[in-house]
Amino acid sequence: MHEINASQLSTQIKLIRKYLKLKIIEDNITFRDHASERKHVYELITKAVLHGESHSALIIGPRGCGKTALINSVLHQVSKEADLVNDAIVVKLNGLIHHDDKVALKSITAQMQLENAVGDRVFGTFAENLSFLLSCLMSGTDRRCKSMVFILEQFDMFCHSTRTQTLLYNLFDITHSKQAPMCVLGVTNRIDVMELLEKRVKSRFSHRHIFIFPNENTENSEVKSPLSNCKEMLVQCLSMPLALGRRDLPKKRKGRKSIVSNEEVMDIDSTDSQYSIPEQILTKCRTDVKQFQHLEWAFLEDWNSHVQSLVQDQKLVDSLEKLCYYTVNEQIIKDILFQTVSKLSPSKPYIDAIELSNTIDETVSSEQRVKLLQSLSILELSLVIAMMHGIEIFDGQPMNFEMVLHRYTKFANANSSNQSVPRPVVLKAFEHLQQLEIIMPSKSTDSHTLGDTSTSRVQKEYKLYTLAAPVHDIKEAIKSYKALPTEITHWFNNTID
Amino acid sequence: MEEIYAKVPCRENQLNSLLDLLGEGDEPLPVSVFISGNMATGKSLCVNTILEHLRFKHVNIDCIECYTPKIMYEAILSGLHDDQVDMKCDSLWELMNNLNAYSTQQYSYEPIVLVFDRAERFRAMDQNIMCTFIRLREFCNLNICTLFVTHLIYDSFHFKMGVREPIKIYFPNYNKEELFKIIFIHQKAFVRHLTNNHEVDCGIKEDLERPELFANFLNAFLSVFYRPCRDLIELQHMARVNFVKYCEPIIKNEIKYNDLSKLWRHIAPILKTSLELLYLRINTSKSTAQSPAKENHEWIEPQSYNFENTLKEELLSTKTFAQSFELPYYAKFLLIAAYLASYNPPKEDKRLFMKNHGKQRKRLQQVKAKAKISEKLNTQLGPKIFTLDRLLAIFYAILEEKIGLTSNLLAQIATLVELKLIAGSKEIDLDASKYKCIVGYDFISAVAQTVGFNVRKYLYDFM
Repeated sequence: MHEINASQLSTQIKLIRKYLKLKIIEDNITFRDHASERKHVYELITKAVLHGESHSALIIGPRGCGKTALINSVLHQVSKEADLVNDAIVVKLNGLIHHDDKVALKSITAQMQLENAVGDRVFGTFAENLSFLLSCLMSGTDRRCKSMVFILEQFDMFCHSTRTQTLLYNLFDITHSKQAPMCVLGVTNRIDVMELLEKRVKSRFSHRHIFIFPNENTENSEVKSPLSNCKEMLVQCLSMPLALGRRDLPKKRKGRKSIVSNEEVMDIDSTDSQYSIPEQILTKCRTDVKQFQHLEWAFLEDWNSHVQSLVQDQKLVDSLEKLCYYTVNEQIIKDILFQTVSKLSPSKPYIDAIELSNTIDETVSSEQRVKLLQSLSILELSLVIAMMHGIEIFDGQPMNFEMVLHRYTKFANANSSNQSVPRPVVLKAFEHLQQLEIIMPSKSTDSHTLGDTSTSRVQKEYKLYTLAAPVHDIKEAIKSYKALPTEITHWFNNTID
Repeated sequence: MEEIYAKVPCRENQLNSLLDLLGEGDEPLPVSVFISGNMATGKSLCVNTILEHLRFKHVNIDCIECYTPKIMYEAILSGLHDDQVDMKCDSLWELMNNLNAYSTQQYSYEPIVLVFDRAERFRAMDQNIMCTFIRLREFCNLNICTLFVTHLIYDSFHFKMGVREPIKIYFPNYNKEELFKIIFIHQKAFVRHLTNNHEVDCGIKEDLERPELFANFLNAFLSVFYRPCRDLIELQHMARVNFVKYCEPIIKNEIKYNDLSKLWRHIAPILKTSLELLYLRINTSKSTAQSPAKENHEWIEPQSYNFENTLKEELLSTKTFAQSFELPYYAKFLLIAAYLASYNPPKEDKRLFMKNHGKQRKRLQQVKAKAKISEKLNTQLGPKIFTLDRLLAIFYAILEEKIGLTSNLLAQIATLVELKLIAGSKEIDLDASKYKCIVGYDFISAVAQTVGFNVRKYLYDFM
């Protein structure tokens, strides 16, 4: 540590913490690898925007592999190169929110800023409405028609199985009939998405699939190991741009951003630039860059070397490898990094490798069910064991309360040291288990309750339940249960009695 | 910091990790946090205390109150806007529009937290809704974070693909020491509860206020109750009820406050009996029938022995409950007959109820069947449906005297149905009606005792 006093240290750390948090959470533009796929998407969009061509494509890849980031980064780039605001309209729809066609159309109208033009007009069909919107765009200005970029996230949610896929049909139809230059990009994580499409929709789709798989670097046609990818990401997310600490930088202007000067700053240190947050994000978050100017250059350099040394740490590398074994979801990795960064404080100014690996362990194998089982009272746990034994003996048949109680009392009577518990309390414990969904009502009794006549209903004591917690979880829970009476452990291990 | 720890005892780890995640000032919040843990482990308390402490703008949404999406969206919006009261919001899309409109009014990057309490209720709604809330931050330009508080674990939500995983925090149960510590914090309140309800001499009052006394009581109390119950709320309630009983002999100057062994002997049976009332919330403060101290104080006014109290007393055990119905003689036999019909297989009726049922041929099959498997017993599988004919046949078989089948008798069946002792249709259709006995063995044996009938003798399971 340099000759920095305590108050300075705390401001430095707080600034770093804030900057890193911003970078991890808000930066949805920065995109790494997958150069060829990115180029493909980039070409599609620019062709539509600049040359007025129509295209459709599906971007398919597993969760958290950067599909949305890819589109954002392409749009960011295109907006720098072309006048995206005036030349084209970008309409973003998300299947989670706009899965209803009516809502989607409303949202399209709003994003095209045509609410006034539509007014109180009533349309017969969806297609009529859409073509009206397009014609609105054509009239008024002397140019032909603005290009449209439709981005449909959670594309699979638009493929309703019950209702007709009107929206998709119309959008793809327009890309075919050349009414207007339009680029439709669907984003999904379902690889079987084509099967969900109606025949008429499928025939209008260009069948252009862009697959994005994590850990695949097609640029130099070699597969990157997940570990190195993960390490790269860690360095990328945690490193600070040194440029922030430079005092001799030209003062950045306040308020409005200008891309040109932004790039000037970037050019000063090109290796450094990849660590900084894009200006656009900062303005979106209404955060002023100026507040980060108090960062000391020496301190930042110290920090970055600390991050570099972190990646060398063998223990950390091991747990990163474990993480990659479980998941390659970048969102999860980012969440882990966020948790690590949020633990920074003036009293703990560096990232602890052990803590980071603990966070990783907790994320990949949190074993909440084991913890839940351990939080049960001894009576409830005994019921779980009784049920487990019963199911084991009768080969997976569901059990009702009476059977479990019978097994439990048999055990309780055999062990005189056990306090006897009255039946209503046991029933309550059983109901508690049901509330925690450690036991679940079996399907067959459900169908009985549907026929809701008074004689066919089953009393709660006789309702059949199955155990929802797997046996090995129970085993695990019992192994590390604190202060468990020995007779219960013994009972657990002696299956058949 | 210290005051938070004082307000939420024994949850330092969870408080720290929540505080770390939420950060301070205008730092970005995490996208979503999933908080799970057993009931009564201080989840909501932690979250609310921290949000109050940080002075973040937050909206608490109880998913039981907001049982439809529309109510929930409107609750979110009215929570965010201080002035506007009425906002119409029907769909997620409108919610996003409103949130985005809200964000344009915002000048700073103000942190906003949405807390969804009892988030397990989300499963009753469309799955999209929770998926959207988990990644709400991606859809609106706000420094917003969603917190889900639930007693279920994340796996129980069974999401389809495409869900962003939230950061998870788990709240373990309080252990015995922690429970002791937490209940002990409220010692003053316990003593006040006691002194308010009883006339206490000044000298004894001082004794009652001693923390050692309460600590001793808690130790005894937890040694009995910790095994079947770990719910802090319930334990606190039971401790309040039982502390009064613990102190009764002290108030009456029978046992000195420091005579621990005598006090333990006094309280041990009381604790045992009140263990039966766990979760049932039957207040027995007035009618302590089982308490040995009962004989000594007849000064409880008989006037207070109103209907409510008798009802409570009757609920205390199945036996008194069964007697409380005061059924007529024949109705009791009808009920017993119904029970036997429900729990015996029809093909055994002949052997059970007829005097000359002939010799039973022993076949291998039957020998096998004799080795009854406990899980296959009728008493464990639940009651079976029977017809009126069978009920009456068994009724006449177990009744020694001969009586005619009068409408009076049939009306009593309807009464039993009305009393919810037998399930079936109320009006008696002699041909088609089907019944089922829905009282348990304890109940029926209590009824049978009053008419001098041995139920066990006629149950196939016990032969």
